[in-house]
Amino acid sequence: MSNRDISRRSFLQGGLVAGVSVTLMPLGSKAMAALMEDSVTVPSEQWLGNNGKARSRNDALSKVCGSKVFARDIRAKDMPGWPAQQGHAMLLKTIKADRIYAGMDLSWLGAELQPDRIVTAEDLLNDGIVFPEEHAPDPLLPVGKVPMFIGHPVAILIWNDFERFRQAKLKLKFNDKAIRYGDKAPLYQADPYGSFRYVRVGGATSADEDEFASLKDSILFPMLRNRRPVWNSQPDLHGNLTERGLFYAERMKQQIDNPSDDWLVFDERYKTPSIEPAAMEPDNGNGWFDPVSKTLHFVVATQCPHEAATETAKMIAPSRFGLAKLNMHPGYTVGYGSKDHNIFVYYAALAALYGAGVPVRLANDRYEQFQSGIKRHPFDIRYQLAVDKNDHSFKIFRAEMTVDGGGRANYSPSVAAVGATAAQSIYYMPQNDLQVTAYHSRAVEAGSMRGYGTLQSMASTEMMVDEIAGRLGIDAIDLRKKNAMVSGMKNTQGAVPGGALRLHEILDKAAVHEVWKNRDALKQQREAQDPDHWHGVGFAICQKDFGTGSEAPMASIEFTADGHISLRHIGIEIGTGMSTSQALVVADFLGMPATEVKTGETEWKELQLTSGGNPYTMSQAEQDSFLRNPRWVGKLASASSATNSAYYFSHATREAARVLFNHGLWPAALQIWRQGPYGGQANPYVVRREDAHWVDGKLTANGMQPLSFTELAKHAHERGLVTGATVHAFNRWSWAESEFSIDGVRERLPLDGLAVKYGDGAAQVKKAQMSSAGFHLLDRQNVHYPDTQLNNAAVTYYSPVATLVELKVNKGTHEVQVLNHHSWVECGRVLVEELVKGQLEGGIAMGIGHALMEEMPLYEGGPGEGDWNFNRYRLPMSRHVAVWKQSAEILPPLSASDPSKGIAEVVMIPVVGAIGNAVAHAIGKRIRDLPITSARIKEALNG
Amino acid sequence: MANRPLQLTLNGKAVDSADIPDDLPMIDYLHEYENLTGSRLGCGQGICHACVVIVDNPDGTSEEVRTCITGAHYFAGKKVRTIEGHASRDEQGKVTELNPIQQRFVDEFAFQCSYCAPGFVNAATLLVEKLQRKPVVNSQLEQVIEDSLGHHICRCTGYVRYFSATRNVLTDLGLVREG
Amino acid sequence: MKHLFLRLSLALGLAAPLLSAHADGQVERGAYLARAADCMACHTKPGGAPYAGGLPIVSPFGTIYGTNITPSKEHGIGLYSDEEFFAALTQGKRRDGANLYPAMPYTSYHLMPRQDSDAIHAYLKTIEPVERDAPQTSLSFPFNIRLGLIGWNMIYAEDLQLQSAEGKSAPWKRGQYMVDVLGHCGECHTPRGETGAMELDKRMAGGVLNGYLAPSLLSDDLAARGWNHQDLASFLKHGMSAQGTMFNEMYPVFHNSTQHLTDADLAAMATFLLGDQPPEAKALDEVAFDKLSPSAQKGRQQYLNVCAGCHAAQGEGKPHIAVAMRGNTTLRLDDPRNLLRVIEDGIAEQQFTGFERMQPMPGFADKLSDQQLTDLLNYLRQSWGGKPGDLAVSDIQALQAQAPSAEH
Repeated sequence: MSNRDISRRSFLQGGLVAGVSVTLMPLGSKAMAALMEDSVTVPSEQWLGNNGKARSRNDALSKVCGSKVFARDIRAKDMPGWPAQQGHAMLLKTIKADRIYAGMDLSWLGAELQPDRIVTAEDLLNDGIVFPEEHAPDPLLPVGKVPMFIGHPVAILIWNDFERFRQAKLKLKFNDKAIRYGDKAPLYQADPYGSFRYVRVGGATSADEDEFASLKDSILFPMLRNRRPVWNSQPDLHGNLTERGLFYAERMKQQIDNPSDDWLVFDERYKTPSIEPAAMEPDNGNGWFDPVSKTLHFVVATQCPHEAATETAKMIAPSRFGLAKLNMHPGYTVGYGSKDHNIFVYYAALAALYGAGVPVRLANDRYEQFQSGIKRHPFDIRYQLAVDKNDHSFKIFRAEMTVDGGGRANYSPSVAAVGATAAQSIYYMPQNDLQVTAYHSRAVEAGSMRGYGTLQSMASTEMMVDEIAGRLGIDAIDLRKKNAMVSGMKNTQGAVPGGALRLHEILDKAAVHEVWKNRDALKQQREAQDPDHWHGVGFAICQKDFGTGSEAPMASIEFTADGHISLRHIGIEIGTGMSTSQALVVADFLGMPATEVKTGETEWKELQLTSGGNPYTMSQAEQDSFLRNPRWVGKLASASSATNSAYYFSHATREAARVLFNHGLWPAALQIWRQGPYGGQANPYVVRREDAHWVDGKLTANGMQPLSFTELAKHAHERGLVTGATVHAFNRWSWAESEFSIDGVRERLPLDGLAVKYGDGAAQVKKAQMSSAGFHLLDRQNVHYPDTQLNNAAVTYYSPVATLVELKVNKGTHEVQVLNHHSWVECGRVLVEELVKGQLEGGIAMGIGHALMEEMPLYEGGPGEGDWNFNRYRLPMSRHVAVWKQSAEILPPLSASDPSKGIAEVVMIPVVGAIGNAVAHAIGKRIRDLPITSARIKEALNG
Repeated sequence: MANRPLQLTLNGKAVDSADIPDDLPMIDYLHEYENLTGSRLGCGQGICHACVVIVDNPDGTSEEVRTCITGAHYFAGKKVRTIEGHASRDEQGKVTELNPIQQRFVDEFAFQCSYCAPGFVNAATLLVEKLQRKPVVNSQLEQVIEDSLGHHICRCTGYVRYFSATRNVLTDLGLVREG
Repeated sequence: MKHLFLRLSLALGLAAPLLSAHADGQVERGAYLARAADCMACHTKPGGAPYAGGLPIVSPFGTIYGTNITPSKEHGIGLYSDEEFFAALTQGKRRDGANLYPAMPYTSYHLMPRQDSDAIHAYLKTIEPVERDAPQTSLSFPFNIRLGLIGWNMIYAEDLQLQSAEGKSAPWKRGQYMVDVLGHCGECHTPRGETGAMELDKRMAGGVLNGYLAPSLLSDDLAARGWNHQDLASFLKHGMSAQGTMFNEMYPVFHNSTQHLTDADLAAMATFLLGDQPPEAKALDEVAFDKLSPSAQKGRQQYLNVCAGCHAAQGEGKPHIAVAMRGNTTLRLDDPRNLLRVIEDGIAEQQFTGFERMQPMPGFADKLSDQQLTDLLNYLRQSWGGKPGDLAVSDIQALQAQAPSAEH
């Protein structure tokens, strides 16, 4: 199984990749800030309220003043040490997928506007560039070949100055005059990117042992033949895993094709559109290759700086350029996933490399971003669901999904898999057969995008359930309640979701909401008052997994003797407020948030980590063998996404802070309280760590004198207690655990890497242990890694969101207007409520766009031709989202110890299904193809 | 194509550029000639409004102008404010005070990625100034905000906080009358 | 006698192909005819239920509202018989005997054969009745007196006579019915006198409507502005062509009517308008900068400042965003009125067929001085319109004075 995060056979270790010395210095980092106009983040006293809650984002000041916070804002003259001259580059693309590329002709630009350098496939070959395998082949299409997709780049054109670049680009835009087309040729062919089948036949109840399940047995993988998936095993109850799986799958098909009289069998198709993520900052990079020092300085917008740095170094290392050093500056950016694992980074690096000493900037304009920016995968779904007409329970769920991955392999396999495993939405399915295949096409490359396949499948499921309720003639929320999972039930892979499922709590609230209860009366009343519109109310609920099944957060926290707390984190700030909330997580243990936060950190020498093998596909034996090396981890570093931020990133921050508390502050407090004869003030009391509380910024327990963090920090330093901790954790739907001996105390922690620092007053012998980049690197013992079989669980962390929508449909134009919506969110403990609400509001807007507006053709006439912009591709505006009226409710956590769950993806999903259901309520017809445009409504009404 | 000199007032400072191409879009002038990148290129086509600046007219009124579809020479002789010019700064260039809209956007977590924030700050600042000349009645407040901010695109936030923060600023500044 | 002959020929020669195409579907045929006759344009208010009335038609005499023609018995035409419907459509006679205001183009429709009227009526009976009265029409005296219309009708209503179809091709004849009768194109494209009646001797020579010129549709004039048969038909189908996009009053016509018509009918309309032997479309060469008048030369910088961002520096436009200035038909009108109005008023976002959605054009009324406007118009007209760059500021001001106050 291929996955959203591709295995890396080489990795950052001691900053050396393929012989190239690699450093990463984020643009927002202090080192950069000193050299630039403004720092991006500000000290906590400026954003933290007296109540310990965030008053604002810690990067808000720079953001609201238009400072250079984005990678895109950077020019050569901003960069210390770079030449001031700024060159500019663009990609030349061929836009006819059925014609051989016969070369280019730029003569018509005239002598004045000729590029100063042109880079072609031939150059890359001759110069020994080894383009990252995951994005190959043919980053630049060689002459004589048929393109893999519409918009396949053929050359990088570079000008040494802005003005000639601008003039030339104006001429090259909106036409393909520079491309010489050869003969017509068959379209490029490729095997499917991935194909999976999830079969489960449960026992009598969810609690009984499964007869067959992906987790217990196996995911089924077909053979690929003639560009299609085929099954060449025969169903056999007593055969191997695949044969057994096929036996159960075949039995389900038989049952659903010949249903009992008690069953209603639903069987419909859903289609979802290709979506432009439309991150407002288009892809960009700006680099300077210094031919003297053989150093590539590289500013780039990416959501995965580790991967980008590693792959850039590996790409150039074997070439004639003799790259000695890569000095990368990942900029603050935004992408909703689309800047993760993005080929653009490497084009930008190449443009810089061929700059001949001139810094070169490759920055998409919006047309180019439409043309080549990563898209959301369109799904074509056939759902079959058998329902018992008497008790309304779901019986068998079948899905056949086709996913269009576009012209280049990206995350299509895992998007397909995640989409399929999310298809059940919130419902318990006693039996399921979910098949999904992701195909190559000549469309623009599709990859990671908020929702990651689940938006496509779950929104469809929610429309299906609503339609089934209609066919059964029952209330759609009642049907949901009947079938919603309860805590401890298994998902369609046979895994049990983590923690309590609070779906019924949300459904109960929705069922008594005035708008839902009175929806039919409201419809009648509104339509009588407003004869120009049909009115409708719709509801949907989803739960979205978060995480990738291979998460590796890292964090480091240190405090100084005068009480300054600094946090370093691998996470990238992508607009979700990650740096703000991580600073706050620290306060749980240290009583105050981090005063300084560095995000996008890539230097973790103190842990001396090594990795290897693919965490998704390795066998148990392989993993066991790797684990003999105490420095080996399943994965070095997670990519950055919003959902990671809340849960996985917090895990690392929290565990690092916990170590500091348990081995720094708490012993310091005990020592202070026990000062004096016979154990001082602590003597008459039993003082327990579990009774420790921070009150008004001071630590107390069992009636002890409250102590401020500063006092404790000072004392901890004097006594040489633990004052710094760097942690690494690994999660495969469960955390790796190991034992560490910390300052003489043995503890079992959900970590697989730990290094600590001792206070200034530590004894020499202790200080001598701090030999790993200033830390004492601890050896883990009795490590337990999540079993590799858990890879088949696919998802176990969920957070649910439900949305109720009121809308109207115009009888003449057939346009849909969302009038109001209300959402319920359960996300465990809330770190910063404004950030959660902001995510929800933004997700809902994006969902409204997906449901009603956003659409473009996949192939000819589509964005690959380079002439799309926001006039044709309509994004939701304030007037589309019920900006004044909408409301939301965050369920209180079960207790303060609830984990903080990721919601950034799930928030956009239920509104999509709810709109589909509300439109059906309004017009009396079902529309199963998204977006629900006026044209589709008109067709539904006339058809 | 020809170059010509361009004089304008940029954030209160007189700027005199010698050789500015006659067809240079204002956004390129700001980015590549003046190194002011806060006015952001979103669509490059006048749709998203991330690139807007404020032009102060001689008659005391001001307006929002899209720099991605307007030539630099349109601004010849005009007074232009960009996002970089709103906050008060000390001699080192460090921000000492934000304008009321900026402060409220910060306080209410109005933006996420912030790429569109300069456009919203400019539009809302303009609205504040407009209502300072002529306050609005309560019943029209939401419409007036929609008219001012409604054509700006934001992909992250769903607009809710931008709009409510603007409403709160206008109310707090006493620019909303009963009615 | 001649008149009668024409009506007969219409009934036999022109309606027949349509009838056979939809032999068994009177309702379907009626729906198509209602599109061709563009009933929706006046009888549906923006954002309103179809045919439920309410569109305000601003006339020099006051505001007339299209009526509710849904089958509502109380508010619509639910009580009309086919006969009564035919009388309303072709003679402006209401069911109660009163006269309809001549904003209802019965002077054109009066040549419609009965079976087409019946088909439209049959179709209208199938749509959802909307129980709502259209707003009251308010005209200034003496036009608010319906009785006065009898006299008007006596003078003008029967006056529309079609050009002889003798020797014309079948498509030409079909086009005549589509353009002159159903499409009632002449209602706007013909100048009107003081009473509001068309000046029939100048039929299709162009008329001014709410400050905009509905340009001449005479074949020589069309050819002089660069129109050929294919472009004209395609323009009606898609609302856009190399010559520009439909805007102002033609935009709803495209939306409600022409985009729904068959390719054959649109081709027939083009054939009728340009003639069976169309004059050759006039090609224009761009006039080089140094050949421009001083005013036009100055206008170049205005163009670069506020136009080139969308229409591109060399006037080539941007695909799917903004039309080209090169070859644009509006620049080629003798009367600079439309060019001025568009520049001053702007154009709202325009949705055409499929994914064509032209971005809104801002209005520049308060952005450019009269001198700058004059220079800009001269630049556009002389560079790409084949017109001299000799407009004076006073010409522009005179046109501005004629523009209606923005009441709609």
